[in-house]
Amino acid sequence: MDIPAMRANFAKAAATGDEAPLYFYSHLFLSHPETRQMFPVSMAHQRDRLFQALGDVVARVDDLDALVPLLQQLGRDHRKFGALAAHYPAVGSSLLATLEHFDEDWTPELAKEWSEAYTLVAEVMIAAAEEAADQPAWWDADVVAHERRTIDVAVLQLRPRAPYEYRPGQSLSLETDVRPRLWRYYSPANAPRPDGLIELHVKARDGGPVSTALVRRIGIGDVLRLGPPLGHLTLDGESDRDLLIVAGGVGLAPAKALIDQIAREGPPRRVDLFAGFRTEDQIYDRIDLQRLEQQHPWLTVTLAVSEDKTSSLEQGDVGDVVMRHGPWNSREVCVVGPAPVVDDTVARLLQHGLPRQRIHSEVFAPSRPGPDVDGEVTE
Amino acid sequence: MTTNAHESGPEDRRITPADLHGVRFTRATMLRPGYVETEVDRLVSRLAEEIGRLIGEKGQLRDQVRALQAQLDGVVTPVAPSEQAVRILASAQQTADNYVAEAEEFSRQMTGEARAEYEEQVRLARETAGAIIQAAQEAAARVTGGAADGGDGARTAELEEQVAYLKAFAQACRVQLRSYLEALLTDVETEWGRADPTLLPQDVIRTPAQRSGHNGGGAPATFVANTAAEKPRTVDADVVPAEAGPKRSS
Repeated sequence: MDIPAMRANFAKAAATGDEAPLYFYSHLFLSHPETRQMFPVSMAHQRDRLFQALGDVVARVDDLDALVPLLQQLGRDHRKFGALAAHYPAVGSSLLATLEHFDEDWTPELAKEWSEAYTLVAEVMIAAAEEAADQPAWWDADVVAHERRTIDVAVLQLRPRAPYEYRPGQSLSLETDVRPRLWRYYSPANAPRPDGLIELHVKARDGGPVSTALVRRIGIGDVLRLGPPLGHLTLDGESDRDLLIVAGGVGLAPAKALIDQIAREGPPRRVDLFAGFRTEDQIYDRIDLQRLEQQHPWLTVTLAVSEDKTSSLEQGDVGDVVMRHGPWNSREVCVVGPAPVVDDTVARLLQHGLPRQRIHSEVFAPSRPGPDVDGEVTE
Repeated sequence: MTTNAHESGPEDRRITPADLHGVRFTRATMLRPGYVETEVDRLVSRLAEEIGRLIGEKGQLRDQVRALQAQLDGVVTPVAPSEQAVRILASAQQTADNYVAEAEEFSRQMTGEARAEYEEQVRLARETAGAIIQAAQEAAARVTGGAADGGDGARTAELEEQVAYLKAFAQACRVQLRSYLEALLTDVETEWGRADPTLLPQDVIRTPAQRSGHNGGGAPATFVANTAAEKPRTVDADVVPAEAGPKRSS
C-alpha cells in the first residue's frame, strides 16, 4: 500500500474544509437515496465529523494495533444507525468519487490503493458488527419516571425492554423520536440494578435540541433508543485504594454510579465525594445525596457553590474546595464534569503531588462526539 | 480415410469444421463404388456425439445467461450522479443546515436571556425579602424590648405573621417567575419544533403545569409555618394564565 501517496491525496480533499464532505454526502445521497434517512435533517455537524474521523483512520493506517480496535468499535456502534453490510460499498464508491474530484493528479493506481484500503476497513467494521449480532442493534427503553429537579435539570428513570449491560461510569448514547437521528451521550447514575432501571441526569443546554427535549418534552411513557455503552471512567476492580470523586454539575451522575457500585460490590473503601454547582438552587440531587451519606458510613459528601455568596455551603470552585480538605495523595481520583472544572481540578491535583495514572477524568462537553469513521454519529 | 483427427486418437479431440472439410474416404473396391462403410459409420457416430454435446452445452449456457439476466434485473445499477446534481443537492443541504443553525442559535439566545432574567429577578426578590424580614425582626425586637417582659404579645404575633407573609410573598414571586420562564422556554421549544416540521403533528407540547405532577417532590420545603405554606397555593392558582403561553403561540 502506498501510504504516503494516499495521505497526500487525502490532504488535498481535507484542505477544502466543508466542501469535500459536502460533495461526499451529496454524491452518496444521489447515488443511494435510501441512505439519506439514516442521517439527521441538518448535516452540518456530520460533515465536521466525517473528515476528522477519516483523518484519524488515515493517520493510523500504519498502526494496525491502534486502528483495528477503533474500527471494531465503530462497526459495532454503527449497528444502531441501521448500517448494513450492503451500505459499505455505497459509502466506498462515493468516498472514491470525492477523493478523485478534489485531486487533479488522480491516477488509476491511487483509485486501486484507496479501493483496497477501504475494502479492508469495511471488512473489519462489518466483521465486528456481525460478531455483535447476538446483541440488539439498539435497546428500546421506556421512560418510567421523569422529574424536573430545577429549571433545567431533569432526572429520568428508564427501563430497557431487553437486558442492558454496562459498567458503572460508562456512557450510553440515546436517541428520541422527537429529535430523530441525533444521538447524544449520557451516563447512568447507578450501577446495573436487579430491576434493570437506569437513572439519567439531563441538563437542558441553551439551544441544545436533544437535551432540551429530554428535559421539557419527554415524559413518562415515551420510548428512547439506547446504543451500546462505551467510555472509560470505570473503577479498577482490583484496587481497594480510598477514593476521591470530584463532580461538576450533572457529572454527578457517573459519580453516583461509582458510589453505587462500591455499595453493591465493594471492596470496602472510603469515598469522599465533592460536588460543585454554581448556586445552591442548582443542587438538583441533594435529598438523595443526604440519603446516601446516612446509609453509607464510608461516604462523605461535600457540596460546593462557586457563585452563591449567600449560601452556607463551601464556597469556591470545586477544585479549590477539594484542595482545602486534603491531603489526597494516597487516593485514587475520578474527576468528571464540564471541561473547566475537570481541567482546573486535575491541574490542582497534579500540583498537589498525585501521580497522573491515579487520576481518571472525563469531560462532559455540551455535545460529546462519539468515535466515528463515516460520520454517522452525530454529536 | 484420412483426416487430421487420425493422428491424435479420435475420442479425445473434438471434430472441427476443418476436419470435415478435410475428410477423404477411401474407395471401397473396384467392384463396389462408394466409400468404405465402416469409415462412414464411424464418422457419423462421432458427429452425433459431438452435436449432442454441443446441444447440452448450449442449454447450460442459456440457463446461465437467464440467471445472470435475472440478477441484473433485480439490481438497479446506480448511475454516478452528475456534477450538476451534486452541486444542487449540496447547496440545498447547506440552505437547510443554515435554517436549523439559525433556529438553534435563536433558541440558545432566547433561553440564555430568559435564564439570566430569571436569575436576576430571583436574586432581587431574595434581597428585598431579606431586607424586609430583617427590618421586621428589628422592629419586633424593639417592640418586645420596649414592652419589658412580654407585654405586647398581640403585636409580636402580628409581626410574626407579617414575616411569614413576606416569606410566602418571596416564594410566590419565585413561583411566578418560574412559570413565566417555563412558558417562555416552551415557546422556544415550539419554535424549534417548527424548524423541524415533520415532528410537529406527532405530539402536543406539554405545559409545565401538566407535568408538575411528577416534579413537586423535588422542590425544597422552604416553609415551616402553616400560614406561610398556604399562601403560595393561592398564588399557584394565579399562575394558571401562564399556561396559556404555549397555546397562544400555536
